[in-house]
Amino acid sequence: MGQKNIVTCIDAGSEYCPCYLAENNECITCSHLQGKSFCDCNWSGVCIYQEFSWCGNMKKNPRETIESKIIEKKQFGENVFVFKFHVSKTLARQLKQPGSYIFVRDMEKPLYFDVPMSIMYADEQRGEIHIAVQILGVKTKALLDCQEKMFIKGPYWNGLIGLKDLKGTEDKDVLVVGRGIALAPAMLAVEYLLHHHNRITFVIDPGKTGSAFIEDYFNGLEMDKVYLNLRTEEGLKQLSHLFRQKSYSLVYSGGSDLLHQSLKDLIAKSDENIKLVATNNHEICCGEGVCGSCTAHTINGKRIKMCKAQVDVEEIIERGNIHG
Amino acid sequence: MVKVVVIGGGWAGVAAAITARKAGAQVTILERMDILLGLGNVGGIMRNNGRYTATEECTLLGAGELFEITDKTARHVNVDFPGHSHASLYDVCKVEPIVRKLLADRGIDFKLRSRAVDVKMNNDSVRGIVLHGGEVIEGDVFVEATGSTGPMGNCLKYGNGCAMCILRCPSFGPRISLSQKAGVEDILGKRSDGSYGAFSGSCKLNKDSLSPEIVEELNQKGVVILPVPKEDIHVKKLEMKVCQQYALKEYAENLILLDTGHAKLMAPFYPLDKLRRIKGLENARYEDPYSGGIGNSVRYLSIAPRDNKMKITGVDNMLCAGEKSGLFVGHTEAIVTGSLAGHNSVRLGKGMSLLELPVNLACGDLIAFANDRIKTEEGLKTRYTFAGADYFQRMKDLNLYTTDKTELKSKIERMNLLNIFEEKLV
Repeated sequence: MGQKNIVTCIDAGSEYCPCYLAENNECITCSHLQGKSFCDCNWSGVCIYQEFSWCGNMKKNPRETIESKIIEKKQFGENVFVFKFHVSKTLARQLKQPGSYIFVRDMEKPLYFDVPMSIMYADEQRGEIHIAVQILGVKTKALLDCQEKMFIKGPYWNGLIGLKDLKGTEDKDVLVVGRGIALAPAMLAVEYLLHHHNRITFVIDPGKTGSAFIEDYFNGLEMDKVYLNLRTEEGLKQLSHLFRQKSYSLVYSGGSDLLHQSLKDLIAKSDENIKLVATNNHEICCGEGVCGSCTAHTINGKRIKMCKAQVDVEEIIERGNIHG
Repeated sequence: MVKVVVIGGGWAGVAAAITARKAGAQVTILERMDILLGLGNVGGIMRNNGRYTATEECTLLGAGELFEITDKTARHVNVDFPGHSHASLYDVCKVEPIVRKLLADRGIDFKLRSRAVDVKMNNDSVRGIVLHGGEVIEGDVFVEATGSTGPMGNCLKYGNGCAMCILRCPSFGPRISLSQKAGVEDILGKRSDGSYGAFSGSCKLNKDSLSPEIVEELNQKGVVILPVPKEDIHVKKLEMKVCQQYALKEYAENLILLDTGHAKLMAPFYPLDKLRRIKGLENARYEDPYSGGIGNSVRYLSIAPRDNKMKITGVDNMLCAGEKSGLFVGHTEAIVTGSLAGHNSVRLGKGMSLLELPVNLACGDLIAFANDRIKTEEGLKTRYTFAGADYFQRMKDLNLYTTDKTELKSKIERMNLLNIFEEKLV
């Protein structure tokens, strides 16, 4: 009975649509490309099925892996590295929108070392992108050896859930909360929100990584910055106090699902219609909706490929894994 | 107070809104585009053949406003063209703003660029309509008049792809079948070969692109008939047309142009290079669809099962009108079905018995006949219009066709239905 949660594909209508999913009747958006007989989609734009037909019933060229020059590699604290890459101006422009990410890999390593990294900064004039990497596991450790070049695959865009709400916020008060390495993707969101005349209160929790890696990027950005430790009672109390001080229209949660949940609870208590946008914390491995590692389930049990699909943020938090 | 939400602001939806308002409801129209009337913005043919009777009947029943507008904006009246008598052709460039004003004057709320995408249900009742942006519009009774045309994927699979018609799906998003979202499966019209859907039956040429002689004749007579070169005559092409009333041999052997502000070309589409071989059309270009040289919109892919009171079977509080309610062709048919659905929406909201138009009126008979026939395979391949094909013949056979207004008035008076749609019920 009816479509209760509308799922949209971040890639719909882009130069990468239709994709492998369309070829296999698994398209997130188009009913024809799900094997059905008639239109039943929610996509307002040039028809994906029409594009597919124009492409000779084939997908468009997928994203390619390219060699990219490392301009700078800088260490912050014990285990955070900021990499600056030289890329085409086009790619830098494509990676400027909030939620953008790429896959990076040591050129000596096989495909399955591809690891997704959020874009912290993109300069389309100079053709430059910056990422911050926290060294945690096999894939990130492998990046330590990279000196001159690295493999990059992109652009990908689904790093934030609730992107539509973020993009629809203009001239409002916004609370941005970021913790640890998830402070990196907050920067694109902050830039976007400021560009759209929003007033930002940025709560910075240095977490385990510290916040030094991000401080340079604050230059010239006008916002209130508050440093808190959100893993303490005191920190949470102060956050709650801050939250009540202004009438926020949007809350940005950059951190673990635990942080998302705390902010969601704060919003629920407030009785206001406050939108939540949250970092996408699912384990993304291929970015193309194929490998299945990022699969999540909505409250209604619908299977969602989180590397491509935008869905109601509350749905995903409810069912997400609460990582520490 | 009964709150009626009409989904779709074409002729059917507008008609439903007016009768619902007259019956005392608070009415909201949800329309996905930035203009009302939908395909009515490229239509224009009224009062031809049996539509004359239906127009007079509907007016006597108390829903004459929209016909008044189409009469008032007529560029030509009493035009005859092959197979059709006493047509009037409204100016498609003038009619929409006047309708818009009428709705505003009547206190009918219409929300443009408000595409309905889903329903909120409460068992078998619709509680509200979900808009594209997530807003929910609640109501007591709903009238679905979203039509049956497009969107792009359907026009591709069952036609020649998007021909860029007035419905502008890429700009305003696809039509969504709300009755289907409410759990009631759509019925699908077929062509004579059994394939689904049918092409819209006419396109528009930009009048300024035609020769001065043709323009003058159009302005004077309202109709121009141009013979098609022998090598280009394809009688087969008629089979794919929606408008079986125009699927006559004359329409294969001639190009028939009608003056509705633009030059209405009575063919679903016509390759531009072939069109330009015809004298006077050397510089012709399409006005609607923009790609009228390759195709046209595909329709009849989304019809709700209903009773003769226009209530959708399987949903407690939803009615339907226009093409959503049957394999109907034309504005007159949309206005007639819409007017009944709108009136009945208020009856339904008040728990009153619903009005069924008697079959000794053309309006009542068309609604009942189309509903009977849609249950058969052959009936799915037929179109129902007062203007021609099988149904006009039936009107004549049953003595339903007349242009005598006095006779119609006394008939409707006898039935005690005079101005029934004017009656305030709440």
